[in-house]
Amino acid sequence: MRHLRAVNQKARRMDDFVTSAREHVVGLQGPPPPPKMRVPLGCTLIFTPGWEVDSAGGAAGLCQPLERDIYDCYVDCYWPAQVPDHLNNATDWTSKCASATKDWRNLDLIFP
Amino acid sequence: MNKFSLLILLGTLCAAAQGGTIFLPGYPDRILVIDEATRTLLDKIPSEIGIPTAIGQSYDRKKIYVTSNDKNGIEVVDMASRKVLDHFVLNEEGHQHRIYGVAPDPQDKLLYTVVREVVKQADRYEIGKYKYGVIDLAQHKIVRTVDIPPEDQEGNNPYPGMNPFRVSPDGKYLYQFRDKVTILDSSNFHVVDKIDLAKPDFPDLEAIGIGTPFGTLVEQGAFVSLFNAEDPIVHRRFFGIARFDLNSREFQFTEVGPAPAGMMGMQVAPDRKTGYSVISNGEHGNRRCEFWAFDLTKNQRTMTSEFPCRPRFSFGISSDGKHLYLYGAGFEIEVWNAATLKLEQTIDLHNDVTMGGIIVVP
Repeated sequence: MRHLRAVNQKARRMDDFVTSAREHVVGLQGPPPPPKMRVPLGCTLIFTPGWEVDSAGGAAGLCQPLERDIYDCYVDCYWPAQVPDHLNNATDWTSKCASATKDWRNLDLIFP
Repeated sequence: MNKFSLLILLGTLCAAAQGGTIFLPGYPDRILVIDEATRTLLDKIPSEIGIPTAIGQSYDRKKIYVTSNDKNGIEVVDMASRKVLDHFVLNEEGHQHRIYGVAPDPQDKLLYTVVREVVKQADRYEIGKYKYGVIDLAQHKIVRTVDIPPEDQEGNNPYPGMNPFRVSPDGKYLYQFRDKVTILDSSNFHVVDKIDLAKPDFPDLEAIGIGTPFGTLVEQGAFVSLFNAEDPIVHRRFFGIARFDLNSREFQFTEVGPAPAGMMGMQVAPDRKTGYSVISNGEHGNRRCEFWAFDLTKNQRTMTSEFPCRPRFSFGISSDGKHLYLYGAGFEIEVWNAATLKLEQTIDLHNDVTMGGIIVVP
């Protein structure tokens, strides 16, 4: 993109905005915005059942142990990248496992 | 019979006489029945409709309506015999009617709900908009749907365990307690009135667990809960206790204090003089949770106690109002003493429970 340069006012404003977003200097008139992690909220883009991060990019906001989270993610979040999809593709994923924390070995293997 | 055996027998009888019964939806396909007195699992009622994602009591308080969202089924369970009386699914080939909670009419013949149609096309799923729906329990199907106005679409975005409506005892009005209190005419779903009070919110946690205390209050035509409000000048958020008369559509709101970051609504003891709530401040690892107890006769907070809260849980109260339950996101129920706000016992159910709510009956 280095061969492009801003030639009008709007393009210069866009350029300034992009540059300012990369800088660490913030105005003193307000509190600095909280740092944001570059991760998807609450889920992952790879298929690793049960692995996730909270909206702050950590694990403190997650259930401990993490198996407590799997079932509710399966039912109401239906993040297909993280756990199988309850509504359409893997409705019987948990049919042999009453407690994810205790019996997670009984969960079916799903091959997307 | 020796004295020791007699004492055990008497103790058992006393405990059995005092306790109620808890119904909890569990994975993967069952309703868990727990005895409050012995705090043991009594029964598992098998469900034919898939994972139970919401449960609610019938208007006559004798049955339970269970709903699932994979098959979008409805099951009617008799609480006394713990038997399934009826069940059916709304899904058809390539056509889903997604529902979450349902609310019965006073005759227990119709169920009011929010429904979303999903049609499987050759190359995609077509997701419809939310609509108000009426399910006929005798005909086993949705008999009527009404479009929801655009401004109310977001407020009707359902979640597992939600109870979409409170029905007035005369069956004429449907109440929605969400960002606003919306009152609908049950015959055509037209908005009759809107009241600008926000329901207490609780980030990352499930909304209010509607248990028996709310049920008994609804039977008397009243709804009592905590609500947030904001003054129009400096936009200060405060919370208070609101009492709704479901028949006359009149309400009273008493301010209690500044609103904390999150509140889990109110669980009311059977004597209707005491209420309990869980509040949270902070996020993630810095979250602090407290029980708050209220004297509902004076509308005052009487007691607080901090406790180590899990990231996700639901909140309920025992049938006698002497214990508070924290459950959900796992296989345990924490039993807290309502008088001291101290942990008494953790019940291991050996079975994960869904976020579909709790029913506690005496």
